[in-house]
Amino acid sequence: MRRLLPVCAGLAMAALSGIAEARPLTDDGRLTFSGFGTLGLIHNNLDEADFTRDISQPKGAGEGWSARTDSLLGAQVGYRFTDRLDTVVQGISRYHDSGDFSPEVSWAFLRYRPDPGVQLRVGRLGWDVYQLSDSRYVGYAYPWVRPPVDHFGTLQLTYIDGADVTFKQPVGSDLLLLKLYTGRSDSDVFIGKGIEAHFDVDKVYGGHLDYETGPWRFRVGYTEVESDITFSGDVPEQLDAQFDQIRAFNPFFSLTADDVLGDAFGFDRVRLYSLGAVYDQGPLQLQAMWNRSKTSAEGAVDSGFVSAGYRIDRVTPYLVYSEVETTSDGEGGSEGDFKQRTYSVGARYDVTANMALKAQLDRVHIQRPGFLWRDIDSDWNGGWGSIFSLGLDFIF
Amino acid sequence: MNRVRRLLLASTLTVTTLITSSASADIAIVVNAGSGIDQLTRSDAVNIFMGRYRKLPTGNVALPVDSSSLKARFYRALVNKDLAEINSYWARLVFSGEASPPQQIASSDDVHQLVIQNMNALSYVDGANVPDDMHVVLMLGE
Repeated sequence: MRRLLPVCAGLAMAALSGIAEARPLTDDGRLTFSGFGTLGLIHNNLDEADFTRDISQPKGAGEGWSARTDSLLGAQVGYRFTDRLDTVVQGISRYHDSGDFSPEVSWAFLRYRPDPGVQLRVGRLGWDVYQLSDSRYVGYAYPWVRPPVDHFGTLQLTYIDGADVTFKQPVGSDLLLLKLYTGRSDSDVFIGKGIEAHFDVDKVYGGHLDYETGPWRFRVGYTEVESDITFSGDVPEQLDAQFDQIRAFNPFFSLTADDVLGDAFGFDRVRLYSLGAVYDQGPLQLQAMWNRSKTSAEGAVDSGFVSAGYRIDRVTPYLVYSEVETTSDGEGGSEGDFKQRTYSVGARYDVTANMALKAQLDRVHIQRPGFLWRDIDSDWNGGWGSIFSLGLDFIF
Repeated sequence: MNRVRRLLLASTLTVTTLITSSASADIAIVVNAGSGIDQLTRSDAVNIFMGRYRKLPTGNVALPVDSSSLKARFYRALVNKDLAEINSYWARLVFSGEASPPQQIASSDDVHQLVIQNMNALSYVDGANVPDDMHVVLMLGE
């Protein structure tokens, strides 16, 4: 509960402040302060596996209620030097790879806009690998309690330290947008019972092309992530212990757990291909996205979702279907592969113009259990699970 | 009798017309009369106020200004969304460092002053009360 205190404090601030725009802190409006947050409550009916929002969370929501998975608080400070040059720093406190709510700096960049059609940013930037991925913790921005886990939960990075450049070009009444980015990063990912992968990302680069026409926004994107991976946990420790025994007889034996697991997973070089479409016209919101991530071991993660919401006065009911499937090269068989699909139904209720209450039911069909779940019973082969979630999202 | 009836009918019609026109007065997007901007299309207005592309036909950077008293009516007329939806839209762009919402000004006198003083400023006023020193670039029906 103590860990939720910052979130509660943020909620109180949101309740006290009536306005929802970035507040100027100085008379000239150069310095601004704003923030966002979510108080989330999850009920999981499965006792065989614990639910996570993404692969960075070391522990999941076990059978019963949990507030850890979705609750978060973020705050942003901006300073405008000139009309062309400004800086933004943003921090977030959420349950992440360190195993607690320790805050981290998620954005810190200097932005230069020489022209409305060109933007250059340097510093720490959210990972804009597919539509919504760089705002996936801003619950107030979307109808769902959380972005579809099957699609967004497998993303291994939240931010990059580097630079991006965006070009915008009007085409008649349409708009063409090109963004290119490069940088480095690191992250810890929990990929199974007893295996944790540490990504030291030397190089992440990519880009996307967006086309906006009327209410439609289409995107095609490509990203490449090159990393040095080290593994920890029971599995690599046992492997290394066995290799040490071999080495006692054969000093030339040089294999390590990192070599073996590195080759098996092929996470050292991951390429992500993505497509997305968003339709936003008056009360109707439709979204569809698809992604294929290919590893250097010829493995792949395929995921996608479709979502539809329709706003009636203050209430936006919505439906989502999502799925994710991993395929390996066949050498390891399908033992390590993961497959599930999720049917979600929910509603967002806008309490005020800066606070929304949400309720969502996810029916998850886990065909083969895998790395989006924690503490999986070893004799469990999957099945249907129900996740019921309540969320209170706010901005201030 | 006929004359009386005709008079009554005419006055009723006039009153009805007056009531309907004031209740459904359009919203005028306005600029400085000397800005050199003749008119904007609806998609230009959406691009500028929704932060998609803020370039004026003059080549300058557009400075959109929200007028608090008319804001709800304006966004309903422009994109058929209420203020909670507009805030939700901006939450994504603000917290991903992509764009900032228009400057918010509470008093319509201050909005007037800003548009009069800045050649690149755009705002909106009630279509029935457009000041002489502002130029209407687009009329949004409600």
